Amino acid sequence: MQIREIVGAIQNIEVIAKGSSVKIRKKLQKLHGRGNWRKMKGIAEVRLSDNSVRLCEILWFEAHGIGKKHIKVKHYL
Amino acid sequence: MMIDHFDGKWLVVCVDNRGNEESLERWKIYQSLPDEEAEKHQEIRVIDEEGEDYLYPADCFSPVFLIDAVAKSLVTQYSTHRNATMSN
Repeated sequence: MQIREIVGAIQNIEVIAKGSSVKIRKKLQKLHGRGNWRKMKGIAEVRLSDNSVRLCEILWFEAHGIGKKHIKVKHYL
Repeated sequence: MMIDHFDGKWLVVCVDNRGNEESLERWKIYQSLPDEEAEKHQEIRVIDEEGEDYLYPADCFSPVFLIDAVAKSLVTQYSTHRNATMSN
Protein backbone atom coordinates (compact mmCIF):
# COMPACT_ATOMS: atom_id res chain seq x y z
CA MET A 1 0.00 0.00 0.00
CA GLN A 2 1.22 3.51 -0.83
CA ILE A 3 -0.54 5.45 1.92
CA ARG A 4 1.30 8.52 3.18
CA GLU A 5 2.41 8.31 6.80
CA ILE A 6 2.20 11.59 8.68
CA VAL A 7 4.71 11.90 11.49
CA GLY A 8 3.41 14.18 14.24
CA ALA A 9 0.78 16.88 14.01
CA ILE A 10 -0.46 18.79 10.96
CA GLN A 11 0.02 22.56 11.25
CA ASN A 12 -1.32 25.64 9.39
CA ILE A 13 -4.49 23.80 8.38
CA GLU A 14 -6.79 25.57 5.92
CA VAL A 15 -9.74 24.67 3.71
CA ILE A 16 -8.91 25.25 0.05
CA ALA A 17 -12.03 23.83 -1.64
CA LYS A 18 -15.46 22.54 -0.71
CA GLY A 19 -18.65 21.36 -2.37
CA SER A 20 -18.56 21.31 -6.14
CA SER A 21 -15.07 22.84 -6.12
CA VAL A 22 -13.68 19.49 -5.00
CA LYS A 23 -12.89 18.06 -8.44
CA ILE A 24 -12.72 14.39 -7.42
CA ARG A 25 -15.82 14.61 -5.19
CA LYS A 26 -17.66 11.83 -7.04
CA LYS A 27 -14.74 9.44 -6.69
CA LEU A 28 -14.42 10.24 -2.99
CA GLN A 29 -18.13 9.54 -2.52
CA LYS A 30 -17.84 6.27 -4.41
CA LEU A 31 -14.82 5.08 -2.39
CA HIS A 32 -15.62 6.44 1.06
CA GLY A 33 -19.27 7.49 1.13
CA ARG A 34 -21.39 10.59 0.76
CA GLY A 35 -20.52 13.63 2.80
CA ASN A 36 -19.60 17.26 2.76
CA TRP A 37 -16.16 16.70 1.24
CA ARG A 38 -13.59 19.42 1.69
CA LYS A 39 -10.06 19.71 0.31
CA MET A 40 -7.61 20.72 3.02
CA LYS A 41 -4.05 21.98 3.10
CA GLY A 42 -1.44 21.92 5.85
CA ILE A 43 2.17 21.37 6.81
CA ALA A 44 3.46 18.17 8.38
CA GLU A 45 6.40 15.84 8.56
CA VAL A 46 5.83 12.96 6.15
CA ARG A 47 7.60 9.65 5.69
CA LEU A 48 8.69 9.57 2.04
CA SER A 49 9.21 6.65 -0.33
CA ASP A 50 12.87 6.24 0.65
CA ASN A 51 11.80 6.09 4.32
CA SER A 52 13.24 9.53 5.09
CA VAL A 53 11.09 12.08 6.92
CA ARG A 54 10.69 15.63 5.60
CA LEU A 55 8.54 18.62 6.31
CA CYS A 56 6.06 18.89 3.45
CA GLU A 57 3.08 20.87 2.26
CA ILE A 58 0.33 18.28 2.16
CA LEU A 59 -3.24 18.18 0.90
CA TRP A 60 -6.00 15.80 1.84
CA PHE A 61 -9.74 15.37 1.69
CA GLU A 62 -12.07 15.05 4.63
CA ALA A 63 -15.75 14.84 5.40
CA HIS A 64 -17.59 14.95 8.69
CA GLY A 65 -17.88 11.46 10.15
CA ILE A 66 -15.49 9.99 7.56
CA GLY A 67 -12.22 11.62 8.48
CA LYS A 68 -9.03 12.36 6.56
CA LYS A 69 -8.57 10.52 3.29
CA HIS A 70 -6.03 10.50 0.50
CA ILE A 71 -3.12 12.52 1.84
CA LYS A 72 -0.98 13.89 -1.01
CA VAL A 73 2.37 15.68 -0.95
CA LYS A 74 2.57 18.91 -2.95
CA HIS A 75 6.05 20.19 -2.04
CA TYR A 76 8.95 19.44 0.24
CA LEU A 77 9.66 22.43 2.49
CA MET B 1 10.10 7.12 -33.78
CA MET B 2 9.12 6.31 -30.20
CA ILE B 3 9.51 8.95 -27.52
CA ASP B 4 8.87 9.07 -23.77
CA HIS B 5 8.68 12.84 -23.33
CA PHE B 6 7.52 15.96 -25.13
CA ASP B 7 7.57 19.65 -24.25
CA GLY B 8 9.30 19.01 -20.92
CA LYS B 9 6.73 16.46 -19.81
CA TRP B 10 7.53 12.78 -19.40
CA LEU B 11 5.02 10.05 -20.08
CA VAL B 12 4.49 7.42 -17.42
CA VAL B 13 1.93 4.67 -16.89
CA CYS B 14 0.47 4.02 -13.45
CA VAL B 15 1.24 0.41 -12.47
CA ASP B 16 0.10 0.59 -8.84
CA ASN B 17 -2.65 2.90 -7.55
CA ARG B 18 -3.20 1.21 -4.18
CA GLY B 19 -3.78 3.89 -1.57
CA ASN B 20 -4.21 6.52 -4.29
CA GLU B 21 -7.36 5.23 -6.00
CA GLU B 22 -8.97 8.68 -5.72
CA SER B 23 -6.36 10.37 -7.93
CA LEU B 24 -4.76 7.65 -10.06
CA GLU B 25 -6.15 4.98 -12.37
CA ARG B 26 -4.09 1.85 -12.91
CA TRP B 27 -2.74 1.40 -16.48
CA LYS B 28 -3.58 5.00 -17.41
CA ILE B 29 -0.89 7.21 -18.93
CA TYR B 30 0.00 10.35 -16.97
CA GLN B 31 2.36 13.25 -17.51
CA SER B 32 5.28 13.72 -15.17
CA LEU B 33 7.17 16.96 -14.52
CA PRO B 34 10.91 16.98 -13.80
CA ASP B 35 11.69 17.22 -10.07
CA GLU B 36 15.27 16.40 -9.07
CA GLU B 37 14.55 16.76 -5.35
CA ALA B 38 11.72 14.21 -5.63
CA GLU B 39 13.96 11.74 -7.47
CA LYS B 40 16.38 11.78 -4.53
CA HIS B 41 13.53 10.44 -2.38
CA GLN B 42 12.42 7.84 -4.96
CA GLU B 43 9.38 9.96 -5.82
CA ILE B 44 7.97 11.43 -9.00
CA ARG B 45 5.88 14.55 -9.72
CA VAL B 46 2.76 13.52 -11.65
CA ILE B 47 -0.23 15.45 -12.98
CA ASP B 48 -3.03 13.33 -11.53
CA GLU B 49 -6.83 13.06 -11.98
CA GLU B 50 -7.27 16.45 -10.31
CA GLY B 51 -5.22 17.98 -13.11
CA GLU B 52 -2.64 19.14 -10.58
CA ASP B 53 0.89 17.91 -9.95
CA TYR B 54 1.67 16.00 -6.77
CA LEU B 55 4.50 13.80 -5.55
CA TYR B 56 3.94 10.05 -5.68
CA PRO B 57 6.19 7.03 -5.06
CA ALA B 58 8.22 6.44 -8.23
CA ASP B 59 7.60 2.69 -8.12
CA CYS B 60 3.89 3.32 -8.77
CA PHE B 61 4.82 4.33 -12.34
CA SER B 62 6.76 3.04 -15.30
CA PRO B 63 8.11 5.06 -18.24
CA VAL B 64 6.08 4.62 -21.40
CA PHE B 65 7.20 5.14 -25.00
CA LEU B 66 4.67 6.20 -27.63
CA ILE B 67 4.87 6.97 -31.32
CA ASP B 68 5.98 10.61 -31.43
CA ALA B 69 2.76 11.89 -33.04
CA VAL B 70 0.69 10.16 -30.36
CA ALA B 71 2.89 11.47 -27.53
CA LYS B 72 2.70 15.02 -28.88
CA SER B 73 -1.07 14.74 -29.30
CA LEU B 74 -1.50 13.41 -25.76
CA VAL B 75 0.54 16.21 -24.17
CA THR B 76 -0.93 18.99 -26.33
CA GLN B 77 -4.58 17.93 -26.10
CA TYR B 78 -4.34 17.20 -22.38
CA SER B 79 -2.87 20.66 -21.76
CA THR B 80 -5.63 22.29 -23.83
CA HIS B 81 -8.31 20.28 -22.01
CA ARG B 82 -6.75 21.12 -18.63
CA ASN B 83 -6.61 24.86 -19.38
CA ALA B 84 -10.23 24.84 -20.59
CA THR B 85 -11.36 22.96 -17.47
CA MET B 86 -9.49 25.30 -15.12
CA SER B 87 -10.89 28.43 -16.76
CA ASN B 88 -14.49 27.20 -16.25
